[in-house]
Amino acid sequence: MSRRFPAANMQNAAAVFVIAVIVLLLPLFLPTHWSSLVAKMMIYGLFATSLNIIWGYANIPSFGHAAFFGAGAYSAAILVLKLGITSFWLGLLFAIVVSAAIAAILGIPAFRVFGVGAGAVNPIYFLLATIAFGELLSKLAITIRPVTGGSTGMSGVPRAHLGFGSAINEEQFYYLVFGIGIVCLFLMYRILHSHYGYALRGIHDNEKRMQALGYNTWLYKYTSWIVAGVFGGIAGVLFCYFGSTVMPNNFAMATSDISFLLVILGGTTVFFGPLVGSIFYVGIEYVASIYLQERWPLIFGAIIVIAIMATPWSKDRYKGLGPGVLLLWQWLCRVVPRLWGRKPAQSVPTGKGV
Amino acid sequence: MSQAVVTGLNGLSYAFILFLLAAGFSLTFGVMGVLNLAHGALYMLGAYIGMQVIASVHQFWLAVVVAAIALAIIGYALYWFFLKKLYNRVPEQGVLTIGLALIIANVVMWIWGPRAHSMMSPHGLTGVVHIGSLGFPVYRLFVVGIGVLVLALLWYMQDRTRVGAIIRAGMDNKDMTVSLGINYGLVSTFVFLLGMALAGVAGVIGAPITGAYPSMGDNLLLLTLIVVVVGGTGYIQGTMLGALVIGLLDTFGKAYIPRVALFFAWVVFLAILLLRPSGLIGRKVF
Repeated sequence: MSRRFPAANMQNAAAVFVIAVIVLLLPLFLPTHWSSLVAKMMIYGLFATSLNIIWGYANIPSFGHAAFFGAGAYSAAILVLKLGITSFWLGLLFAIVVSAAIAAILGIPAFRVFGVGAGAVNPIYFLLATIAFGELLSKLAITIRPVTGGSTGMSGVPRAHLGFGSAINEEQFYYLVFGIGIVCLFLMYRILHSHYGYALRGIHDNEKRMQALGYNTWLYKYTSWIVAGVFGGIAGVLFCYFGSTVMPNNFAMATSDISFLLVILGGTTVFFGPLVGSIFYVGIEYVASIYLQERWPLIFGAIIVIAIMATPWSKDRYKGLGPGVLLLWQWLCRVVPRLWGRKPAQSVPTGKGV
Repeated sequence: MSQAVVTGLNGLSYAFILFLLAAGFSLTFGVMGVLNLAHGALYMLGAYIGMQVIASVHQFWLAVVVAAIALAIIGYALYWFFLKKLYNRVPEQGVLTIGLALIIANVVMWIWGPRAHSMMSPHGLTGVVHIGSLGFPVYRLFVVGIGVLVLALLWYMQDRTRVGAIIRAGMDNKDMTVSLGINYGLVSTFVFLLGMALAGVAGVIGAPITGAYPSMGDNLLLLTLIVVVVGGTGYIQGTMLGALVIGLLDTFGKAYIPRVALFFAWVVFLAILLLRPSGLIGRKVF
């Protein structure tokens, strides 16, 4: 017997499919600098979605997610520029290994002091520790100059070699970002909608009860931290090829700020929330970079303040732009068929979102 | 030998600047439960306000007082309009205050320009003390003196006064303290204002050493966080110990092994987090 999907899920899947096709076809209609903006949205969206795994699903707020972003960017750049290995895939693999290793190492002191149970202390220490991780790595990148290029970082990362033909051009890079983004998003979606992902949500709601049910919550949080780190690292690799430079700033608070701003802007109740936040953020950043370059930190700070004060928040979850867009879409799905005088599809409230 | 003494004194004056900042940070956090990551930006704002007052009326002490009062007012306004609505939501307070810090830094840059302003030491404190063959500015000894004075006052307040007793009781069990009929809100507001004022004082006092520039608070904020974690929250002597450890380590590191010194403090931070998460002298409340 075939499985039947609720109509609401089909509607959402259709929306995702349509958006994916539009994004895929965009470079045919847009000039290159516009499509590179879309590529930036995808990279930041991937970065913020990886933070959402821990912040939104497992309720592990981190102010140092850029540690993994920078680790990915630096390991790919070092492989290309210092070791001369030009293959993009080897760089990606190396970056995944490095960011997973860094996440595994940093996770041990971090989760020693975070959570419920023996030896646990206030989450504030965890927050301070995550700030420390990013700053520590950025200082490290400044210090070991021969490997990392010191405080100016490294520039001139060449275009990616995919192993066949010559290096890809900007338009092909767009499709590379799109492909890797789709694969990563699909993997994260599957992870978060598996037994494991529901266990993370359980930890979010009541960690003590999860422990009483026999879950090793420490292991769940620790592994989710590593998973988030790996996807953050992949976003870093894409970013390093995107801008063809790496800087110590990629590790620092300035980059972490972006990741949690996108999570809060987009909302944590919907998987695609951070992506919506990313579209919004990159758009504003682009406009501001044209008209108000000097006031950008002011605008950025104001977006943070407005996002945190205005985003509806209940039960430790943000309902930002992502749920808003979802509601709008579901409303359209109800209203538009009615305009043609057809009966609307039977919608089942799922609450889970896309 | 005299080189080591001068470095030690430098470290000491640095440690007391850190102490002023960390004491304010840990008071606002310990008593109000507010994670204020804009503390560094407020310190910077204090330095600029002080600089402006000195430029117009040439009164160092007046500048200290004005900066302290201005910062207390600004800090309380931030609390009233923003932080109050995020009660008990520590990560959100962190995010909010990061945004506020960015705004403050950019507004200061807008008003006073991006370049660094130098600030003269007050009259009578511009001289140099000779240690062996090396000179050491009197002003830095004065900073140490101010730091010791503030430490003594805070320590006295914590251990010997009614306010201190209420604060300690509130940290142990806030609900019980309130139910005994103590006006904990009033005391915590006072302590919050005190913490903000300390940031302003630190700004004016530190500016003649480092100069005033819009990003002067960023690095100090990070060191302040390290000091608070290393020293532990809840006791003023813990904050002092943390400030001494980090200030001296950082200064000696920069003087003797400058390559490694950049992340020396972070390594200490991680070690403390692993081995003794409550800090060197700290309550187990967090």
